[in-house]
Amino acid sequence: MNESHPGDGRHHVDSLLMRESLIDKDVVAATHDGAPLVRMLPDARVLKIGGRSIIDRGRQALLPLVAAIGEALASRTLIIGTGGGVRTRHVFSVGLDLGLPTGVLAQLAIADALGNAHILGTLLAHHGVVAIPPEIFGHLLPFFVKGAPGVIFNGDPPYSIWEHPPPVGRIPPHRTDAGSYLTAECFGCKTFTLVKDVDGLYDADPKQSPSASFIGETSVAELRERALPSLPFDEILLDLLERSRLVKRFQIINGLKPELLAPALDGEHVGTIVHAG
Amino acid sequence: MTSEWQGELLSELGRNLVQGSLTDPRLLQLTAGPVQRILPDANVVKIGGQSIIDRGGKAVFPLIEEIVANLPRHQIILGTGAGTRARHAYSVALDLGLPTGVMSVLGTFVSMQNARMIHYLLAKHGIPFIEPVQFPQLPLYLVERRAVVFFGMPPYTFWQENPAVGRIPPHRTDTGAYLVSEVFGARSMIFVKDEDGLYTADPKKDKHARFIPKITVDELRAMDLQDVVVERAVLDLMANAQLRRSVRVVNGLVPGNLTRALEGEDVGTLITAD
Repeated sequence: MNESHPGDGRHHVDSLLMRESLIDKDVVAATHDGAPLVRMLPDARVLKIGGRSIIDRGRQALLPLVAAIGEALASRTLIIGTGGGVRTRHVFSVGLDLGLPTGVLAQLAIADALGNAHILGTLLAHHGVVAIPPEIFGHLLPFFVKGAPGVIFNGDPPYSIWEHPPPVGRIPPHRTDAGSYLTAECFGCKTFTLVKDVDGLYDADPKQSPSASFIGETSVAELRERALPSLPFDEILLDLLERSRLVKRFQIINGLKPELLAPALDGEHVGTIVHAG
Repeated sequence: MTSEWQGELLSELGRNLVQGSLTDPRLLQLTAGPVQRILPDANVVKIGGQSIIDRGGKAVFPLIEEIVANLPRHQIILGTGAGTRARHAYSVALDLGLPTGVMSVLGTFVSMQNARMIHYLLAKHGIPFIEPVQFPQLPLYLVERRAVVFFGMPPYTFWQENPAVGRIPPHRTDTGAYLVSEVFGARSMIFVKDEDGLYTADPKKDKHARFIPKITVDELRAMDLQDVVVERAVLDLMANAQLRRSVRVVNGLVPGNLTRALEGEDVGTLITAD
């Protein structure tokens, strides 16, 4: 296998991509239509519980939702990501004031979502559902979901100081919505649900304009065209969904209406569904 | 509880961040501002996998000597590429239909092997290999030993974004090394490869390829080249960079090139964001 190719000087291992530039357009294109992708956890459902929208509200919002999660666990495997909420906003404001770069802000934010994962883990502990440390979460995820009805993780992707500088300002673009979605996409999970404190998408912020009209179903292209003033999820989700291979839609539901949780996890339309294409 | 948040907030921006939406462009605009250079004296140097390390001692030993010779004058954060074994692992993964995130894990392992080998060659100089979890110790090692070795892959693992086309992880070791230089506000980002820099085509395949000594990201994008000497993601990230707005690519097979690059001399290709 290990050959030295004359006139090259580099010791290659024979493979399809041997000696190729992984940056070359044709090489990259040749990898597009390969074998069908492996779905590692096709029966698991990923949901992300909002930090500021749900967990920061305390027991009034969280306890009914926890009860609904408990019921859902009886017949479904759940992978639950948490947001960092208001503490993340606060640490961003201090970090920005100190002139710290985006990567450092991303690293700091992980602690808040992790705290919320442990808060949720405490409330779901009697179901055997606990917060898993991020260091082992990815590699051991298939093992954990065989042994427990569900797991909780801090929704952040492990970008930390390797976070990408955003086009505008310094706020880390890959936050907990993005990290939870990427978990669902890589593991090929059944559904991805964002649990927030609004019914879904509106053409304006419903908290500020009561005449805002509801958008039940939409696509990445349509949302880009509409250019809404703000979105109830990480904007980078649009890019990620556009490039999805396995999880080609997600749904936003109102976690203050816990009865919507189970149908959403099963893919029923009870909030706003955003499609990749 | 959100609306009743009465905690200590430093500023109007703090209030906006707590109450506003992080997708609101007006709010995001307010978060721009001067950024600290955390390690302004450090240079990030990435040693190519396929281009340098896979060549073995003939290419690596002189480079190690040159790195050691530069330590009295320069702090170096050394990242490593992956190379031919990553290409093998990616090929097997493609054949099996493994997702991009899993391929990212595989690439990390290969760049870690290369980092360990470079580390053992530098070990007698007291230079450590650090994994991402050890990065908080990096400033101490730089001051005490003048250099550290890390694996170039960004630790995205299963959370690697899918590429627009194909399945190969778009953020690999060039990107990981570049982001280290960006977040720390490093003095320079130098990619050590086996070509003199950027060409209009791959000089290994096209004898008519023309050398480009200096170019901006916008010019490079406009050229829409078939192949580029650094990962395309580096160019995208440079356009948004807060601190590290240029990178240099040098031929590490030519003794003295790395030294010249560390001295800030015009060697190889300089790619700039502005």
